[in-house]
Amino acid sequence: MRPPYLSLITWMPFVGALLIMFTARRSPLAVRLIGVVTTGISAALSLYLYVTYDREAALTETGFQFYERVALVPPLGINYELGVDGISLLMVLLTSIIIFAGVFASWTIATRSQEFYALLLALVTGVYGVFVSLDLFVFFLFYELAVLPMYLLIGIWGSSGEIRPRGIFAWAYRETGVGTKEYAAMKLTLYLLFGSAFILVGIFALYVAAGTASFSFLDLSSATFDPMLQRWVFLAFYVGFGILAGIWPLHTWSPDGHASAPTAVSMLHAGVLMKLGAYGVVRLGMGLLPDGAADLAWLVGGIACINVVYGALSAMAQRDLKYVIAYSSVSHMGLVMLGAATLTEAGLNGSVFQMFAHGVMTGLFFALVGLVYEKAHSREIFRMGGFGRVMPGIATAFTVGGLSSIGLPGTSGFVAEILTFMGAWRSEFRWWLVPAVVGTFLTAVYILRVAKQIFWGPPSPHFHHLEDARGPEWVALVILVGVLVVFGFVPGLALAPVDTATVPLLSRILEP
Amino acid sequence: MTTAPYVLELGVGALMLVVFAVGVLGRRPVGAIATAGVLLLAAAALALKPSGPALNGMFVQDGLAIFAKRVFLAATFIGFLSGLGSPDRALVRRSTEYHLLLLGSLLGMLVLASARDIIVLFVAFELMSIPLYVLTGFAKREPEPIEAALKFFLVGSVSSAIMAYGLSFVYGATGSTSLAAIARAPASPLLTLGLIAALAGFAFKIAAFPFHMWVPDAYEAGPTSFVAWLSVAPKAAGFIALFRVYFEGVGDRAAVWAPAAAALATVTMLAGNLMALPQTNTKRMLAYSGIAQIGYMLVGLAAASASGTAMILFYLVAYVFANMGAFLVVEAVARAEGSEATSAFRGLAQRSPLLALAMLLFLLSLGGIPFVAGFWAKLYVFWAAAERGLYWLVLVGAVLTVVALFYYLLVARSMYIEAPVRTGRVPVTPALALSLLLCVLGVVALGVYPKGVVMAALRVASPLF
Repeated sequence: MRPPYLSLITWMPFVGALLIMFTARRSPLAVRLIGVVTTGISAALSLYLYVTYDREAALTETGFQFYERVALVPPLGINYELGVDGISLLMVLLTSIIIFAGVFASWTIATRSQEFYALLLALVTGVYGVFVSLDLFVFFLFYELAVLPMYLLIGIWGSSGEIRPRGIFAWAYRETGVGTKEYAAMKLTLYLLFGSAFILVGIFALYVAAGTASFSFLDLSSATFDPMLQRWVFLAFYVGFGILAGIWPLHTWSPDGHASAPTAVSMLHAGVLMKLGAYGVVRLGMGLLPDGAADLAWLVGGIACINVVYGALSAMAQRDLKYVIAYSSVSHMGLVMLGAATLTEAGLNGSVFQMFAHGVMTGLFFALVGLVYEKAHSREIFRMGGFGRVMPGIATAFTVGGLSSIGLPGTSGFVAEILTFMGAWRSEFRWWLVPAVVGTFLTAVYILRVAKQIFWGPPSPHFHHLEDARGPEWVALVILVGVLVVFGFVPGLALAPVDTATVPLLSRILEP
Repeated sequence: MTTAPYVLELGVGALMLVVFAVGVLGRRPVGAIATAGVLLLAAAALALKPSGPALNGMFVQDGLAIFAKRVFLAATFIGFLSGLGSPDRALVRRSTEYHLLLLGSLLGMLVLASARDIIVLFVAFELMSIPLYVLTGFAKREPEPIEAALKFFLVGSVSSAIMAYGLSFVYGATGSTSLAAIARAPASPLLTLGLIAALAGFAFKIAAFPFHMWVPDAYEAGPTSFVAWLSVAPKAAGFIALFRVYFEGVGDRAAVWAPAAAALATVTMLAGNLMALPQTNTKRMLAYSGIAQIGYMLVGLAAASASGTAMILFYLVAYVFANMGAFLVVEAVARAEGSEATSAFRGLAQRSPLLALAMLLFLLSLGGIPFVAGFWAKLYVFWAAAERGLYWLVLVGAVLTVVALFYYLLVARSMYIEAPVRTGRVPVTPALALSLLLCVLGVVALGVYPKGVVMAALRVASPLF
């Protein structure tokens, strides 16, 4: 019998969290080692699944592989049902990469590190669970598990912004605590739970309308829903998951939250959780509601265009390095949603590839910003300068990430963007290409500006004593940069399995 | 045996006599005796089997009644247990009074759960309510409790009067005091008018929105272990009476009340959640959040179906554990810090990690977060409403849970994120610790395995329709 790989991947971090809570009192090293080992096992297993994924089988018969099923509440049709297709497999791999790197990146956390790692690992179980579960109810449970620990993680270990607000609304900022970690943690949690309310209603509506007394994705996808219902439920899913994906104008939790969160949490949140939102729109929205998706593609794509340009413009205006990266995530998530909204094979592949590429890239950025902050104790761009001399490793990694962000050939970002552009060109709304290209141009402006100011400018005498990355931190950087470059040169590694999932998905939407 | 249907009521009566006798002789062990007696009765209630109507159909010990009585007795047990060894001066000195009054109210509830006659129902209702007014003003030398008790009493009497007035219309329209006969009677304007007027009385008891004014003051003024009980048991009783009067035996006509219940649910959820936001006193915050919780239960009432009713019952069980638990943590912190403000919880996670964890679990359960009881409770009432196509109500409720999480998380923030002002553990008496443990077990067990209670609730609710 085949071992339950997906369950192992999902629950391994949770086991790690329990071990850390109960065994590793007062031993910071043991805490980290447990973290490395458990996430390492998950990462190794997901790599194994990625390699052994059967593409031929996936093409001939639609289906989810590595399928597992245990009945939980039979009378209500709730099952613990897991399975992956090309899209979710890539997302699982992304999660593994980010969390494995994240464990190394937060090696130096000092206060209450035991609780930090336990919460972080519990959170990761939720993320894995969302990507692999095929039962919508279990999906929802995992989703909540992925959101809630964030409140404590940001609230306790986060950092408050150092740039004080000015201008006529400064008092309002002071009164509400905008920019502080408590504010950010609360805002993020409430926004995401607000979204989950819509998701819950959508799931219920499908459950009742299908009448099959089953929450299984497979059963629901073979049911046909009334077009009107499809439109409303798609809208509910779009709003609910879209909040997590950072759609304009509901994105404001993301810059605040990501800028305030500790390094590993920012990596995980911007790198994986925002993708989880886009994944939800694609998997549940487009997968279950083909007519609704086709009817509302104009809305999804139109808002995505605003995201791309608005996010990039906002990133240009920031003085705090972490906010620049956070707004760049908003902009890139716009590209992800835009690719999906084109309803073309190239666009959807580009969208999924962008999720992966941007996940790795933004994880890398947040890891680097964390390192820079830890060494220079500043995130204010114009106070720093000439770090390239004292920390060449970090500077190089930042430049590679930046080039991928701009979409230079040879990096993953290039593949993702070119596919999205092709999709936009072939879609019903050709003009979407314009904001997409403008967004890329603006990305080049703010990324190169930041890189020049911080890393490649004239060296400043204040920062002679700074050091480059050390031991465990290198592990994180090497993994992330390596993935960015490898997948940039050999995009087929990711596109081949993804294609097996996107083509059937699109054929349901386009052929009534 | 002819006494079988009334064994619990007789038991409470006997317990009251014992408490009274012991209290007259010497007041030391009154609390322990009352607690042990209630525990015994709760055990008896677990063994009880449904039996047919008695006293010409005025009194019925059906599944619903037994389910409700178990909830009342469990809540009373936790309430009594938590008060044992309490250093509260008034509670120690007038222990007999306190326990007698509370048992009297409990007797009213037990009868109410079985009443199938509007006269019995009304008498039981008053028997339940009047001791509550006295207990609210238990600290009789301070001005705030007196004010709160007076407010409670006045609003309560007025709503009782309206209810009696409405019930007189019901009698006039149907010519019978038996609820079974009333359910079979043909619909008439007078009957509907009477039932609407009676609804005001019930809404007051469960503290639905326009009838909620007594709640925050009463909660703030009363002794906390009493308030913990007050926040759950009478509300559960109010819901049982609602089921009896409006749903039992009327069949499809129950749907008539759906729009009214939906409207009441919406305003109650809105008002409770919004008014809880600015509170800085945890007892007042819990009072308003309790109003919001009632709103969620009313969502189940709006479904006007067997599953909706069952889900309210499940919700009540989850609510008993979570809300009583939260009040008891407040009690422990307030005893140590001399303050019920949210700021008294600062850094609790570093001072008493277990107490903080318990509070976090209760708050998450009240907020409706997975893996604790409250999640399933909310989910099930929403489910029942969705079955009836009330998606808009589900959406309103689900969105408002986010508002609720804001004020619950503020307490979590105080406990976990802010630094402690004082050091050292918060002292907890063994009895209080035990009752907290019971609440935690309840919340977690129902969160992990809700099926048993859900099935039981469905079983007892389906004969109503």
